[in-house]
Amino acid sequence: MERIFCDLRRCLACGACELACAVEHSSSKDLFRAVLEGEAPVGRREVQAAPFGSVSLNISLACHHCDPAPCVDACITGAMHHEDGVVLVDQERCVGCWMCVMACPFGAITPSKLKVALKCDLCPDREGKAGRARYACVEACPTEALFAGEFVEFKRLLEEEVVPY
Amino acid sequence: MKNIIIGSSAAGISAAEALRRADPTCEIVMISDEPNPLYSRPLISYYLAGELPEERIYYRPPDFYERNRIEARLGRRAVRVEPRANRVILDNGEELEYDNLLLATGAVPVFPEIEGLEKRGVFGFRTLKDAKEMLRLLPEVKEAVVLGGGLVGLKAAVGLRARGVEVTVAVGSPHLLSQMIDARASEIYGELLEAHGIKVATGMEPAKILGDSQVTGVLMRSGEELPCQLVVVGKGVRANLEPVEGTEVRYDYGIIIDEHCRTNIPNIYAAGDVAQSYDVVRGEHWTNALWPCAVEQGRVAGLNMAAKEAVYRGSIGMNSVQLFDLPVISAGLAGLRERDFDEELIVQPAPRVYKRLVLRGDRVVGFILVGEIENAGLIRSLVAKGVSVAGLKDQLLRESFGFSEVLPLIEGRSERFPEREYQELIETMRLVS
Ligand SMILES: Cc1cc2nc3c(=O)[nH]c(=O)nc-3n(C[C@H](O)[C@H](O)[C@H](O)COP(=O)(O)OP(=O)(O)OC[C@H]3O[C@@H](n4cnc5c(N)ncnc54)[C@H](O)[C@@H]3O)c2cc1C
Repeated sequence: MERIFCDLRRCLACGACELACAVEHSSSKDLFRAVLEGEAPVGRREVQAAPFGSVSLNISLACHHCDPAPCVDACITGAMHHEDGVVLVDQERCVGCWMCVMACPFGAITPSKLKVALKCDLCPDREGKAGRARYACVEACPTEALFAGEFVEFKRLLEEEVVPY
Repeated sequence: MKNIIIGSSAAGISAAEALRRADPTCEIVMISDEPNPLYSRPLISYYLAGELPEERIYYRPPDFYERNRIEARLGRRAVRVEPRANRVILDNGEELEYDNLLLATGAVPVFPEIEGLEKRGVFGFRTLKDAKEMLRLLPEVKEAVVLGGGLVGLKAAVGLRARGVEVTVAVGSPHLLSQMIDARASEIYGELLEAHGIKVATGMEPAKILGDSQVTGVLMRSGEELPCQLVVVGKGVRANLEPVEGTEVRYDYGIIIDEHCRTNIPNIYAAGDVAQSYDVVRGEHWTNALWPCAVEQGRVAGLNMAAKEAVYRGSIGMNSVQLFDLPVISAGLAGLRERDFDEELIVQPAPRVYKRLVLRGDRVVGFILVGEIENAGLIRSLVAKGVSVAGLKDQLLRESFGFSEVLPLIEGRSERFPEREYQELIETMRLVS
């Protein structure tokens, strides 16, 4: 199954992925309009500093779409569910009990003020630019730190040297 | 293979689904004494409050049994298991034989030994039927008393308050939610409930339910009388052991299960509120009567029943709730009476934000997060994995604390993190270094 991975060597913590994610999940899917409409778009991805021996690298993190998924086990309504390997929240059914927030070991679920759980849904309503991964975060990453694909392919990428542009 | 599952709620449903996925052809029979067991039990308080209509509290669609090719015996109670004969006896005398049996009979409310419990208007709060009967009585109810300040009692109180009832919560112990949080966190909730019109009376045990056939009040041991037309008993639950009582199946407070969710009888499994599994913080078997544990244990039991090896790594106590607008999550040794720790760290950056971390040596063994809950899952996983957090303990309660900061710890103890998602991160870390 295709998932999104982050190459820590390339991530500059610019935050472009966070912003693109937030915009993609706003009602208008447009940054200016979202801000004008008074909506503060909430992202489902976060860039964090990762301590690495004496240095610090950056990593862009979101839901891992675990299988089995602790958040799905914990959900008392059935809102959190698996669909073809993707872990999704049915926002209509979510009651905001935050059992999923308690369960997720990665802290990848945001308890929103609207009492629904928010998390990476792998951009279901997005086509993406031709020839590129269709995910907002991957497309927005200026250094190609985010990679969409199988983990084995991602590992091959990690085995290559990073050459600065 | 013929599999029988007694109980068709969180644990039973999860087991049946895992079993069906792993073995498309086996026979599955589910027995439930509830006629409509596919609803989510924790949602009955939302239904009581009027926040969710009945059709929204169902956890699985009505064709669940057909779709999974399950023979459902609804409205039937299993009264006895005969492990030597591999047989279950139903309340109508019918005898069913099995190759594998799962006990997923859950728990029932505990009622105190006081007079008057049989009167009209006294309820446990466990089933959809309880909630419906409470709603039916509502036109006659001006005041209600909830006995017990645990999570279930408080949810009932909030639900009744939402319906305009004047509610008093009478708590035996000196604090609300004493199993889940400490005294300071409990004070925050006491104030919150009072602000929403729910009275809280602590140190109050009931002596007698008053009234003729209909409840008119509760006499407390203190001599005080609380007038009411409805009583909810929220004094905890006990495992539903009836079908195995007096049999060879080993039980204590619950049925003892091993890491395959198997009982001492090789073809009998147990899962959910009825089971007592290894608690990784306490280091002994313990009942953690929780939805997530029921689902996970059910899945592990179901897979093993299908002869697919699956391991249950043990449970910890935990819970999450949002009462009104204030969320709290706690796990491990978090309750009022837990004393088996060496060190506690507390921060209270705002009046309604309270965070407490409890450590034994350099392991986190419990926490409470009130108001700011974002990192609950991350800290919970450190409790469950039992790894040393020596260098990190002062950072765990910071708002900015994030998963990336535990990456080195995970890499250093990779054997404790066998799940695919962690292993991918560990490999990533090793390849980029
Ligand atoms: C109001 C309320 C709120 C809750 N909120 C939360 C929450 O927020 N988070 C959380 O983690 N947990 C919560 N819980 C607890 C949670 O509901 C339980 O942990 C969970 O339902 C356990 O599932 P189970 O399948 O083990 O047992 P149960 O849900 O108890 O189901 C057992 C089923 O078996 C049936 N049965 C029993 N004996 C027999 C028999 N002999 N023959 C046939 N059928 C039988 C019962 O009638 C029942 O249908 C809440 C509970 C309540 C009541």
